[in-house]
Amino acid sequence: MTSQALTADRIKSSTGLGARFNHWILERVRQRRGSPTLPFTLEYRHIYVMPTMFGVWFGVLLATTLIGGLNFNNNMALLIGFLLAAIAQLTTLLAYRNLVGMELSSVRAEAAFVGETAHFRVYLRNPEARHRFALQLNSAFASDTSDIEANETAVLMLKQKTTQRGWLEMQPFSIENRFPLGMFRAWSVIIPASKCLIYPRPNPNPPTLPRSGRGDEGMARVGEGEHFHGLRKYRPGDALRSIAWRASARHDNLFTREYESPQQEACELNWYLMKENSVEEKLSILTAWILKAERQLIPYSLELPTDALPASLGPEHRDACLKLLALFGQ
Amino acid sequence: MTPKRLTKAALSPSLSGENKSMLWVIATLSVAALPQLALMPLHLATACTLPVLWRIFAQLKQWQPLPSWIRFTAVGLALVSLAISYGGLFGRRASVSLLTIMLALKLLECHRVRDARLVVSFSFFLCTTQFLFTQGLIMPLYGAITVLIGLVALAQLQRVEAFSCTATTPKSSAPLMAELGFSLRLLLLALPVCIAFFVLFPRWGSPLWGVPETTLDARSGLSDSMSPGSIENLFMDDSTAFRVEFNSTAPGQAELYWRGPVFWRYDGRTWSSSFYGRNIVAPSLPEETETSWRYSVQLEPNERNWLFALDYPTAAPRDARITLDFQLLQRQPVTQLMQYSMTSNPNFIDSPELQMTLRSMALELPPELNPKTREMMEQWRQETPQDGPLIRRVLDWFNQEQFHYALNAPLLGSQAIDSFLFNTRTGYCEHYAAAFTVMMRMAGIPARIVTGYQGGWYNAAANYFLIRQSDAHAWSEVWLEGSGWTRVDPTAAVSPLRVERGSIDAIDQPRHMLDFIWIRSMRNSMDAMEKRWNTWVIDYNHQRQSKLFEGLGLDQMRPIGLISLLFAILAVLGLILLPLLLRTRGPSSRDPLQHVWQKFLKRLKQAGYPARPSQGAKELAAAAAVELPEQAEHIFHISDLYNRFRYASEPPALQELRQAVKKFKPGRSG
Repeated sequence: MTSQALTADRIKSSTGLGARFNHWILERVRQRRGSPTLPFTLEYRHIYVMPTMFGVWFGVLLATTLIGGLNFNNNMALLIGFLLAAIAQLTTLLAYRNLVGMELSSVRAEAAFVGETAHFRVYLRNPEARHRFALQLNSAFASDTSDIEANETAVLMLKQKTTQRGWLEMQPFSIENRFPLGMFRAWSVIIPASKCLIYPRPNPNPPTLPRSGRGDEGMARVGEGEHFHGLRKYRPGDALRSIAWRASARHDNLFTREYESPQQEACELNWYLMKENSVEEKLSILTAWILKAERQLIPYSLELPTDALPASLGPEHRDACLKLLALFGQ
Repeated sequence: MTPKRLTKAALSPSLSGENKSMLWVIATLSVAALPQLALMPLHLATACTLPVLWRIFAQLKQWQPLPSWIRFTAVGLALVSLAISYGGLFGRRASVSLLTIMLALKLLECHRVRDARLVVSFSFFLCTTQFLFTQGLIMPLYGAITVLIGLVALAQLQRVEAFSCTATTPKSSAPLMAELGFSLRLLLLALPVCIAFFVLFPRWGSPLWGVPETTLDARSGLSDSMSPGSIENLFMDDSTAFRVEFNSTAPGQAELYWRGPVFWRYDGRTWSSSFYGRNIVAPSLPEETETSWRYSVQLEPNERNWLFALDYPTAAPRDARITLDFQLLQRQPVTQLMQYSMTSNPNFIDSPELQMTLRSMALELPPELNPKTREMMEQWRQETPQDGPLIRRVLDWFNQEQFHYALNAPLLGSQAIDSFLFNTRTGYCEHYAAAFTVMMRMAGIPARIVTGYQGGWYNAAANYFLIRQSDAHAWSEVWLEGSGWTRVDPTAAVSPLRVERGSIDAIDQPRHMLDFIWIRSMRNSMDAMEKRWNTWVIDYNHQRQSKLFEGLGLDQMRPIGLISLLFAILAVLGLILLPLLLRTRGPSSRDPLQHVWQKFLKRLKQAGYPARPSQGAKELAAAAAVELPEQAEHIFHISDLYNRFRYASEPPALQELRQAVKKFKPGRSG
């Protein structure tokens, strides 16, 4: 998605009549249908068909041709005019047919930080034995297009800007297509119930990690570190350099050396020990610290006025901590 | 780019690198413009071709767009040369040429989907403007090809537009023929609706605004003057002048004189019409009798006012008049195919009395020209004082002396008649008609020249006469006491074959390299198709539409009635077409095993147990058996069969599974 196209969509969505019409449709859908429960199959009553700008222009040209043909009773011109009109009319059906029966299986989004782009992945399943051409997802900010083979599922990506932490609700979007000639647009409006968790923005220049605290109460962490911990059986995926070759030579099996991090290196991230005044600034620094601790493989505990998590390390711990920060005070 | 400059055009997806779609766009324009190019002056045709060629290379070789001053200069030059060539930018030919050249130049700055769509839709429009000039049998083919290619272009552009938000447009692997096939299917599906509209859409009885103005289109056909060689030129032209279908008995070949322009005035070289002849309406018209010939004429557009009829028309068609010298003149030039019914009564005396002004006009000759002829005629007049024998004598003289009916007559000097009669003695019909008329006037017999067509090719299968431009002819009329204006054809005296068999048989020189008999006869037979096309499609108008519905017992069809009938037919067509279009196919209908399995899944679903896509046959059976314990055995049997069909090295007959599924009736559970 280029920035130019982004601007394009925003301008498209803000021009007078079209914007009002879209708004009207959206409100109608919100009242009648609300958010669909997934999986959601597009049926005839969910689909609208309207001419595009090109369709309107083509219609005007055809009308001119036909009026001229009628006036001069030029039957060849009338034949071609009627033929093109019939074809244009036929494409409304084709556009509708290209869309009907598609199934919106699920929408997923991975958490992101404020300032990053949130990616909503929309799973579109084609349950029928025919190819679907150039189906497009359009939200106010982004679009994505894909062909979908018979009996296949395609993943389309809708991006959304993030401005504040907490739950980011997915914008309403449309599933649409202008197949085959671009004269008519068949679309269905979806008001998704999907959300994306947005973590606070990590402070770019956080203070150094607070390494003091109750580190010696924690368990020694086995894994990578400086101090030798013991031997265990080799598991596929262990680094070659950590294999205890001499010990392995004496047995039939391979052995891997395990190391541990000293307990003292665990750090405590404590809300009450922070000097900053603003809540958001504190959250921002805590976020940065969590990321830093993860990078440096230092176990960390988190204490907030509302919640506390004991010292640990790893993606799950990180996500749990970040979630607390993201939803702090909400 | 600043926000102010963000126009809509700038936002339409770019076409750079989209060779395929752009080439289709260029192809559409090229096909649409082709007939136009063939009729343009050479320099304008070149001006149209160059931008197209530039664009093709620019697209393939990724050239930079031309700077704007070059484009503007090109547009300016094109406008000026167009205006000079056509003497203005208005008029049919000029405005269609303008459209062609502007579309070609538009290719120089066609870089976005929007521009390309503009070019394609205007190409369709350009295609329809061609029908202002010709609507022959080849034109529907031309229209269909333009539409086919244009549809492919539009479909490609739509793909470019749809995928503009992604990094790349997936290349559709469809080969050329598949894309054209898609367009063809679209076209064929639309055809029934198109025909319904064509037949039923209410036509206008009279145009809302003016018919196309007279153009300076060079059409071959009879003109409003005659000089040596002017009819001979038509002899080369095999195109159709008109077709005639007789409702009564048809006259013999030698009586088929189709009257056209009549000439009175002679300046020593060129014959032209008289003001009286053109503008005064015939004082009396013949009565219609039992023996009158009744026929209908299908006249090809000739850009002139003359309609053609046999002598003597009893009534003029609508919007036409019969003049003093029995020319049939249409108020507006015939720019479209025209059908009219005529009745002619051959037994009519045109002008039993000749007014003095007309008599003197019919005797007027440029003085002091052709002294030898004048001397001879004065002598003959003395020897043969009566009109009838004198005419007979002149004709016999033509017949007995060494006169030749042939093409490429030698040039005649200023004393044209003298040198023709006494030196060259070779000529085409206009030479003989002119010479005879002059001789009559010298002898004091009022005479005038009539041009038109003589004869025609009778198509026995379709029962009509085909009159080509090559049948053009010129003859004389003399005014005689008692019988009025009387037709005399001096060519018949020289070459009786001309009148009996037609001009092509009378002259045994081949006219051009491809003038073979079999080509002529093939063209003659093909013409029946063209006639049918003309009758049913080209000349389908308000009257014929009303007539058609009267024939069906639906007289007095008002536009409202037509529209409702149209929608009724569309509804019927829709009922036939819609299920075809909207039919949905279950997954993998091509695999018969899968087909049966789907049926089983459907029944399970009806029983309240929808299968999840993640379940294999075994897991599904296990889970379903828990839900439907009384059917458990049956379910396991079916899933076992399915697995054996799918995976066993020697699968049993499919029929067994089919039967099992058929028997499986779990019924609907709440």
